[in-house]
Amino acid sequence: MSSRRPKIGVYVCHCGINIGSVVDVPAVVEHALSLPGVAIAREYTYMCSDPGQNLVKEDIKTSGLNRVIVASCSPRMHEPTFRKTLKEAGLNPYFLEMANIREQCSWVHEDHAKATEKAKKLVEAAVAKALVLEALEEKEVDVIPSCLVIGAGIAGIQAALDIADAGFKVYVVEKTPSVGGHMSQLDKTFPTLDCSACILTPKMVDVANHPNIELMTYSQVEAVEGYVGNFKATIRKKARYVDVSKCTGCGVCAENCRLAGRIPSEFDENIGMRSAIYLPFPQAVPAKYTIDPERCLQLSKGKCGKEGPACAEACTAGAVNFEQEDELVDIECGTIIVATGYDVFDAARKPEYAWSDYANVITGLEFERLVSASGPTGGKPLLGRDKKGEGGYLPQKVAFIHCVGSRDKSVGNEYCSRVCCMYLAKQAHLIRDKLPEADITVYYMDVRAFGKGFEEFYDRVRREGVRYVRGNPSEVYKKNADPEDHTLIVKVEDTLTAQALEAEHDMVVLGVGLEPRHDVREIIDLFKLSQSTDGFFMEAHPKLRPVDTASDGIFLAGCCQGPKDIPDTVAQAKGAASSALILIASGKVNVEAQVSVVTSSECRGCGFCVEVCPFGAIELVDENRMGNIVKVALVNEALCKGCGSCAAACLSGAIQPRSFKDEQILPQIAVLGVRT
Amino acid sequence: MSEEYEPNIVAFLCNWCSYAGADLAGTSRTHYLPNIKIIRVMCSGRVNPLFLVNALQQGADGVLISGCHPGDCHYLEGNFYARRRFMLMRKLLEHVGVDPGRVNMSWVSASEGAKFKEVIDETVAKAKEAGPMDQFRRRQLNW
Amino acid sequence: MVDEKKLREKAKEVLAREDVRRLIGWKRGTYGYESAPAVLKDASEADELIFDPTCVQNPASFITLEEKLPVPRGQDPDTRKVAVLVKGCDSRAVVQQLVEKAYDRDSVIVLGVPCTGVVDRRKAAKMFGDTSEPVLIKEEGDKFVFTIDGETREGSKAELLADKCVRCRFPNPLIYDELVADEVAVWGADEFADVDEFAKMSPPEKWKFWEEQFSKCIRCYSCRNVCPMCYCLECVVTKQKPQWTRRSTDVSENTAYHIQRAWHLSGRCIECGECERVCPVDIPITTLNRKMTRDVKEMFSYEPGVDVEAEPLLSCYNPQDPEEYIM
Repeated sequence: MSSRRPKIGVYVCHCGINIGSVVDVPAVVEHALSLPGVAIAREYTYMCSDPGQNLVKEDIKTSGLNRVIVASCSPRMHEPTFRKTLKEAGLNPYFLEMANIREQCSWVHEDHAKATEKAKKLVEAAVAKALVLEALEEKEVDVIPSCLVIGAGIAGIQAALDIADAGFKVYVVEKTPSVGGHMSQLDKTFPTLDCSACILTPKMVDVANHPNIELMTYSQVEAVEGYVGNFKATIRKKARYVDVSKCTGCGVCAENCRLAGRIPSEFDENIGMRSAIYLPFPQAVPAKYTIDPERCLQLSKGKCGKEGPACAEACTAGAVNFEQEDELVDIECGTIIVATGYDVFDAARKPEYAWSDYANVITGLEFERLVSASGPTGGKPLLGRDKKGEGGYLPQKVAFIHCVGSRDKSVGNEYCSRVCCMYLAKQAHLIRDKLPEADITVYYMDVRAFGKGFEEFYDRVRREGVRYVRGNPSEVYKKNADPEDHTLIVKVEDTLTAQALEAEHDMVVLGVGLEPRHDVREIIDLFKLSQSTDGFFMEAHPKLRPVDTASDGIFLAGCCQGPKDIPDTVAQAKGAASSALILIASGKVNVEAQVSVVTSSECRGCGFCVEVCPFGAIELVDENRMGNIVKVALVNEALCKGCGSCAAACLSGAIQPRSFKDEQILPQIAVLGVRT
Repeated sequence: MSEEYEPNIVAFLCNWCSYAGADLAGTSRTHYLPNIKIIRVMCSGRVNPLFLVNALQQGADGVLISGCHPGDCHYLEGNFYARRRFMLMRKLLEHVGVDPGRVNMSWVSASEGAKFKEVIDETVAKAKEAGPMDQFRRRQLNW
Repeated sequence: MVDEKKLREKAKEVLAREDVRRLIGWKRGTYGYESAPAVLKDASEADELIFDPTCVQNPASFITLEEKLPVPRGQDPDTRKVAVLVKGCDSRAVVQQLVEKAYDRDSVIVLGVPCTGVVDRRKAAKMFGDTSEPVLIKEEGDKFVFTIDGETREGSKAELLADKCVRCRFPNPLIYDELVADEVAVWGADEFADVDEFAKMSPPEKWKFWEEQFSKCIRCYSCRNVCPMCYCLECVVTKQKPQWTRRSTDVSENTAYHIQRAWHLSGRCIECGECERVCPVDIPITTLNRKMTRDVKEMFSYEPGVDVEAEPLLSCYNPQDPEEYIM
């Protein structure tokens, strides 16, 4: 089978009736047989099936085929399938060329005759390219047996624990001072009404204590370079101004802080207050205090009071250190999992709901903090407290509004946030639980109770006397100007009774949706991720590869990929960990074979390709050209992704991406350009 | 025999966005004209503008490059380079006397199957208006 | 004005250096209104050098085209420098070659020659006829004084200057190690009026023009051979694997060739005009290249051959690059 002359086999698939009912497959087969180099041409119903693939394998073995054309669906569908077929038959998998006569022909053209003519042309172009295909070698690189997990919410925590339990090293980097993410802000979770902190804190503690996990909180990834199996990351460990080896988490510093109770707490969604030196929440892991450099008087103004910083004085362990600096740490790892989570929709963008105007219009996340036992009101849904946090009233008539910032073209979020129907039902239940006499109404467009136990929970909540009114409120406003009267009017049409309502409530909870993190651009630039149309990170394939990204070795987990609830997040985190473990456990990974290569005798060392390469995969090196030292380009095959920008920049045509060389594209143009 | 002129369009689609968008048009069974013949490249940045000239020389009546939207290139920057090259080559061809309606570029993402159809319709319409490309057509050799 | 004596002395001085291998300049031509390029090895040859309005050639073309011979075993490659005399327009070629890393800055010695314009031989031939003897040309005020076959003739600069000189913005070299004469005042400006005028034609009119021009082409490749920016080890237009353009000289292949070359020069052509000067069938090649020069300037605010630190045009991009025609 070492004949140098190309011997091409062409296989035209019917794909059931998908292709066969539009394209005259036998005619395409006949045309293929007339083309130069084609030794065999066949048709079959389903080329991707076992018998279909066996046709190819048999012909390779018995007829000595050395090039294979499959005219069928898109190569984006089955190129890997047929490459494997060739490999199993002993033929280099890069001698395959596919002609897309389904997605780009039979499925889109109504005129059968024209579709058939086009299919013939596409096969002809594939044959023209196949004549100049080359055998390519798939190279292997080692995988460093470790993982870098970005983000320590429930997704990051779960993924880290799984990989660490499997026996491999994990670096976990978390931007905020504590792990836990948004889940730590929640009170009870639907539909089981598990206490969020109770189920989360054991995992938080595990992450901090696991021997295989190196946890870096209050840290951010600054730079990432490398390729699958061999990433290098620089992590900035921000200065806490507290020596964590000395801090016992006793809290005396925060009590004595001159700004105690005067700084809105991010964890409490600005409803509760904290000091400049703070622990985000009582169960924070690690339980080490952090100083906010922007609010701390000593750090921002250089002077704290007449006697100096009160925290440093109060601390018996001497842990406060204003001289502390950020630390830069370099790590190497084989895989990366991005689990950076979400931000909630900013309710100020729906001014008609008056969230910015009235203290008794709150978001779903603010609600969680209100009803949380460790929250600013000790779990009582108190509204209207004064500046000292005293007083306030319990609401009597509560409204919950669905779809705030989701399913809404006007704010640019067309998608459904998936969790709001259920969390609002849960929140309605919590109000019923805490205020048995309260009047509770939920204004909804739909109720999406799709998961395990969801429908049953929704039923229960309605049986508890929560009224569900189908209508999307147009406005929320104060009933009158009386400062003692907290009544808000919710203007809505009850679409099931066709009645316009101006319902009175004294607390309105907006079911804000989930959005991509507002600093998502930074993460995208660091890891070269793509965004889907909704702005969340794009997975490699929406159906079959939900945790992979387009960059090998980098995986996604949790809401950064799309809104989802806790069980789905945990499942996806485990999926991402598993994908990372495949690489780590096998220890080796194949790198892209279709990379660029330089014909150095044609290279004039101008460096255009070096400038153009988005991955810095090319450099100019010395070459000895018959005694003269000249500069020529050289490609780092592990970094090259095969995009071919270099080839278009090269005036000499000296650098070409394998399988997409000029000499492989020009024959296709020659066939397809001719008008018949 | 007066057959109505049907332009032949050669299109270079980038694998990650536009080719996927074309596939989506297929999965959604969006119908468009069969005048277009697609060549798959990994990135719009791969497209040497001389491919367009070569296609026109071979007999194509119109050419199209389609890639990811600026900022979304799977390879980060390829489409930015492609954009610069395309804008210049279009001017050069216009200077030589090639109807600029023959030389087209578009941004079609993997989720824009419907847009892909619109792009094809517009490309074919422009090539139809420009008439058959006979200006510097290569002589076909019949061995 | 350039003092030829001073020029020759400077050349002698440079050629006498141990670390200088060659000096490239101009010498008296063998016939007609143009000089001949001079590649000198030794200081004794320096008296051949001239500088007058016949010095049309771009010596920078020679730097990149020097054949690097195989080095015999046991010997080291000759890394001595090459000295080159350049006018203003020629110096842009040196700048652009350095931008493209064609050679190291310290492997050339650039001797700058401020220039007040050269004669277009076609215009001279039209006025005075052809001759088989070398012609002497002197500049006097706003006139050129010719000595043709022993006779003295005169013509106005305005009518005899090469087009590129009429609009010259860089009469003084942009890069040099030494100047061999005093700098001169800039007199020209370039609004690309010729390009805009041409652009007013309709596509069929434009094609009619180019079809006629490209039909003349005999694919001698003189334009490519003389271009200072064409120095690829193997030029794609003559490559066989893959073959972009056939060797036949029909309009189709000729057009493809010229578009290919104009494309490869976009953002790189430094407008020395040599291509048009050497074309044996008088194709107005600069009309094609200047369109690119103009558009590159307008769309990307870029001018090749003026800034050694600049990045090559097509190796960079601006996220705000124009995209009016993109769907």
